[in-house]
Amino acid sequence: MDASVELNVPPPRTSGRRVEVHHVWKAYSPGTYVVRDVTFELQPGEFLTLLGPSGSGKTSTLMMVAGFEQPTEGTIRVNSKDVVDLPPERRNFGVVFQGYALFPHMSALENVEFSLRMRRVPGAQRRRRAMGMLDRVGLAAFAARRPRDLSGGQQQRVALARALVFEPDALLLDEPLGALDRRLREQLQTEIKEIQRRVGVSVLFVTHDQDEAMTMSDRIAVMRDGEIVQIGSPSEVYLHPGTAFVASFLGETNLLPVRLESIDNGQAVVRFHGDVLGRARLPHGAIRPAPGEIGLVSLRPERIRFLDTTQSAEQVADGMLTGHTFLGRHGRSVIQSLGQALAVSTTDAPPPFDGTVGASVRLGWNFDDAQLLVGGSVAEAYRKDRTSARE
Amino acid sequence: MGRGERSGPNMLFLASVPILVFLLLPSLIIIPMALTRSQLIQFPPAGISLHSFADYLSDPQWVHSTVLSFQVSVFAVVLGCLAGSAAAIGLHGRRFRGKGMVTGALLVPIIIPLVVLALGEYLLFAHLHMVGSWVAIGLVHSVLVTPYVFISVQTSLTAGLNPALIRSARSLGAHWPNVLRHVYWPAIRPGILSGAVLGFAVSFDEVVVAFFLQGPGMVTLPVRMFTAIQFELTPKIAASASLFILLATLSLIAQGLLASRRGAR
Repeated sequence: MDASVELNVPPPRTSGRRVEVHHVWKAYSPGTYVVRDVTFELQPGEFLTLLGPSGSGKTSTLMMVAGFEQPTEGTIRVNSKDVVDLPPERRNFGVVFQGYALFPHMSALENVEFSLRMRRVPGAQRRRRAMGMLDRVGLAAFAARRPRDLSGGQQQRVALARALVFEPDALLLDEPLGALDRRLREQLQTEIKEIQRRVGVSVLFVTHDQDEAMTMSDRIAVMRDGEIVQIGSPSEVYLHPGTAFVASFLGETNLLPVRLESIDNGQAVVRFHGDVLGRARLPHGAIRPAPGEIGLVSLRPERIRFLDTTQSAEQVADGMLTGHTFLGRHGRSVIQSLGQALAVSTTDAPPPFDGTVGASVRLGWNFDDAQLLVGGSVAEAYRKDRTSARE
Repeated sequence: MGRGERSGPNMLFLASVPILVFLLLPSLIIIPMALTRSQLIQFPPAGISLHSFADYLSDPQWVHSTVLSFQVSVFAVVLGCLAGSAAAIGLHGRRFRGKGMVTGALLVPIIIPLVVLALGEYLLFAHLHMVGSWVAIGLVHSVLVTPYVFISVQTSLTAGLNPALIRSARSLGAHWPNVLRHVYWPAIRPGILSGAVLGFAVSFDEVVVAFFLQGPGMVTLPVRMFTAIQFELTPKIAASASLFILLATLSLIAQGLLASRRGAR
């Protein structure tokens, strides 16, 4: 319908540029690093999310890419060109801040035009490009409005248009949805994703919200204490967490202490509490645990099934029901089994047992659904209980 | 603003009136005294005439003093605005050891006894052979104006400038002068204006410094009034004082307009 407008707009670049963050460290005071040896590559057109609790160094990392902070060590390259010594105004990133930071005394159009004005783009061309970008985010009719006369969602879109209009090397988003209520958040998540897909820009996104990260990202880098602990696609990170922290930060999980007996046929043979033998997936990546080592098995509540007397599974465990909550879409049961309380989530309603607390139940799961984690100490995983890890 | 609060006898209003009269009367009484027909300043005034205004405006010495006062004050306000806003911007959002001391040093001119300041400046400018120069008076007045501008600019920065705007402007390619123009300037403009109005009032009727640093032909209006009241007792004093009242009223109106414009935003 807006073909005429589309034709006036220069065609969007189909991709951003490659941004490499290479062994970057940051200390605000000597010896106390808030970012430790962070390395990642933002591919052209990719949506990469830095996910972590507050204080994990994700915003500091973003601010170093944007140029507002200097890395203590390490390099940041855009298309193989080192930009560490360039101030933010000489880098070419579109940044969207929490709260948007629109210029209050300028109209939506003037806000979007600003970067082009700074680049001395002639007036008529400037206006055309800014209008075209406002049109892309669906705000052409609001061009003359001041930010205070726009809704939160509209301000967000002006901020996006402003950050995109000068064809940045990448879009950097610092918790842009942090202050909004849940419904608007979800709506804007899809909108940001959609605009990103249309414009084809690379995005580096910072959030502490795992759902947001899962919905929007091509890849997620999970950060903790200044380090990237795991990087991969949302499904990789969710299904094959590398550490107990990742397993419990992304969704809910059961962590069961085990001893590795042997490695057989690409699977770990493990001994659970109470000398129950079982199998689990080997840890992701290059870490190869040695037999005798103590580790944890991460088992998602939705991967555990209730078995009746006729059914069986690769792994079977007996237990006792200690609680059940009906949550609408699913039910959540707590089962005392293998020496600890296991959370089990079921979509079956009514649950396949009579629901009396104290009833005996049989649980089953596939070997592949149990993910062996090693490296982090078991004690540490217990200290970091689910609630504190998810904040 | 509820209607209920307005209806009925307002005791607070009734109590305020005598206090207001007490505060304003001594200033306002100057105006009828300037309208006297007599050649001496006196109360109550004898008859009504504008001759004292005519005398004031036709006396070259008085006119010169008036022009000189404007000259000194404008000079001081311009310098004070530059120094005060630069200091406020420089200190804004920055944390360092001794920031409190820097802020304190900027506010010293408000606290320090004027006589002490004037004496010190007198010795300094005597050494520089600048006593009796309007530039010297203007320079010292700019020192007095600076803290007022500093405070009001600082207030408008903390109240009206989102620090993310600076970052956002820079990320969009704005170099320092453009950040100053597009981010700082809109935020500090009301602060500079109200600081300037206040600073002008401070400088225009400042007597002590202007008295110490006066020279032949370099007598500001308040100093001339002070001298005249001891020797002449002419109603020109009251006429020129009316000018002060006029200026003060204008600056109050200006402040009110500024505040209401800011409120309307």
